Amino acid sequence: MRIRAALATAVASAGILLAGWQSGAHIAETGAATTTSLSSSTKSGGTSSGGGTNTGSPSSGTGSSSGNTGTGSSSGTSTGSTTAATFDGTQVQTRFGTVQVRVTIQDGKITEVTPLQLTDAERKSAQISSRAAPVLRSEVLQAQSANVQTIGGATVTSDAYLTSLQAALDAANF
Amino acid sequence: MTSLLNPDTSADSMPAPPPAGRPPAVDRFRTQSRRRLARADLLGAVGWLSGVAAVALWLADGGASGFSSFAGTMTALGIVAGLIGMDLVLLMLLLAARIPVVDNAIGHDRALEIHKSLGKPALYLLLAHGLFVAIGYGAAEGLDPLSESISLWINVPDMWLAFVSMALFIAVVVTSLVAVRRKFPYEFWYVVHLLTYAAVGTAIPHQFSVGGLFAEGTWQRWYWLALCIGTGLALAWFRVYQPLAASFRHQLTVSRVVRVSPDVFSIEMTGRNLERLSGAGGRFFLWRFLAPGQWWQSHPFSLSAEPVPGDRNRPGKLRITVRNLGEGSARLARIRPGTKVAIEGPYGLFSTAARSRDDVVMIGAGIGITPLRSLLETTPFEPGHATVLIRGHDESELFLGQEIMALCQARGVTLFHLLGPRSHGDHAWLPRDVAQAGFGLHSYVQGIADADVYVCGPSPWAASVIRDVELAGVPAEQLHYERFDW
Repeated sequence: MRIRAALATAVASAGILLAGWQSGAHIAETGAATTTSLSSSTKSGGTSSGGGTNTGSPSSGTGSSSGNTGTGSSSGTSTGSTTAATFDGTQVQTRFGTVQVRVTIQDGKITEVTPLQLTDAERKSAQISSRAAPVLRSEVLQAQSANVQTIGGATVTSDAYLTSLQAALDAANF
Repeated sequence: MTSLLNPDTSADSMPAPPPAGRPPAVDRFRTQSRRRLARADLLGAVGWLSGVAAVALWLADGGASGFSSFAGTMTALGIVAGLIGMDLVLLMLLLAARIPVVDNAIGHDRALEIHKSLGKPALYLLLAHGLFVAIGYGAAEGLDPLSESISLWINVPDMWLAFVSMALFIAVVVTSLVAVRRKFPYEFWYVVHLLTYAAVGTAIPHQFSVGGLFAEGTWQRWYWLALCIGTGLALAWFRVYQPLAASFRHQLTVSRVVRVSPDVFSIEMTGRNLERLSGAGGRFFLWRFLAPGQWWQSHPFSLSAEPVPGDRNRPGKLRITVRNLGEGSARLARIRPGTKVAIEGPYGLFSTAARSRDDVVMIGAGIGITPLRSLLETTPFEPGHATVLIRGHDESELFLGQEIMALCQARGVTLFHLLGPRSHGDHAWLPRDVAQAGFGLHSYVQGIADADVYVCGPSPWAASVIRDVELAGVPAEQLHYERFDW
């Protein structure tokens, strides 16, 4: 390659890399924001009847993930005739990120499973998680245990999800 | 003229002298060369930028966010290595796809040279990809890289395929190393090389399921889809469809085999639509003679005469001239008239398409003389503006020497026969007595620095010629060298 072409290529390369990095920095921030909104969706008893409504605002903080590793932490409150309690599972480390779920138990039944953290180390992992999580949730609600099939193509996420769930159920003596 | 393949038409195909008052053809070749070099530069830039784009798109999809931790950094480095490695592998496939745009810009042999030079870097990048990702994933889970690799193999779907792919890539590159390649027959290397397709095929599933290359909603998805599909289509079109189409279009059939010297023979073929191959003189085809025990071998040979288009009364004619170099070409000498021939080509830049100047110098030795013979027939130049030097141990080694002499007489070319035992030292390409007497390139050709120089012959000999040609001040773009013993 002649010198002029080589120089032009080098300049173009630098420009393209810079442009990519610039637009990537923007996405990296939104990615972080998404994670925050996922982990901030705290659920208290009573509001859990309606199904998985993840409407926590991104700004409302990181406080909920304080009780991490080891045993699950519970925060049950009772309202009226029915008793709803939530239990956080352990944080399970995987190569694709950390997984932690929260289970809501009402009247001796699993009524809700909420992911506090899901694998999101790479964009594809986040995508797999968002596909697998709803399926796992409905299977768990149907089986009323953590003893369900893992999702094909999302083995790692499923295993971590169910491990965390089992820890939460153990904590609930379910 | 009697021994010429096409005595009547070769006179017709001679270019008419340019009418007075018109600017000389100098601009034609200079412009052609400038455009060709610009295309070559553009292709080079596209090649580089494809790798850059792979990394840039990964960054654009948020790749840099992983650099915050050790594990993330290792994984990110591994991913970048994998992306560039994959890009190089696809570039290598494209370089070997015999795409006309590439062939016309840099020539088939240069494309394969670049292809070869990318082999090891691509393999190292893919190995680094595996290593860094294993370290990165392992660090995220508190495992050492080896246990992490085993766990990936067992637990993550499609990952075992990726390991198989890695092994295949290693096999392909190792069997292509010069030292290893010499130990095995060509066919063994070829079959192992075909495994490249399996290697790419087994690498793709984990890029879908584990990596984010094809994740929905990303830029990378479209880039890699386009690159993979484009490469696949280019291979299917130019390496499978085009050769089949050319073979059917031309319907080549061996008409006779003529012995030129004890170990050199010409194979003449008849065929249809040969006007479409005009200007292919000097370029090469891969020939596959469809006879029992032969059809599975294809041989690269240059045309030794410009194709003669047929008309209503007689079929078109085509000729190659072959030296008995190996077992394969020995069998060719006994090929029967009537044998059908499948072709791939024409390929290469040993043609008028490479011209950049008005004057032409051709230097050939041994069987390398024969492509010059067909180039000499058609490439345009004015009388007195071409010089041909042909080298052989004795007269009998100047294959097609009679034809070349007749062409030189008809077109006003200065012809030198360089005969005698070889010399050693600086001018090894010249006969010993000539070199000892102090003659050199300048003794034969005046003004070579402003001429196109075509060199064809055995590589050590050609290397010696090229050294002298470069010393005479001929720039690289005017030097055209065909390697025919790869």
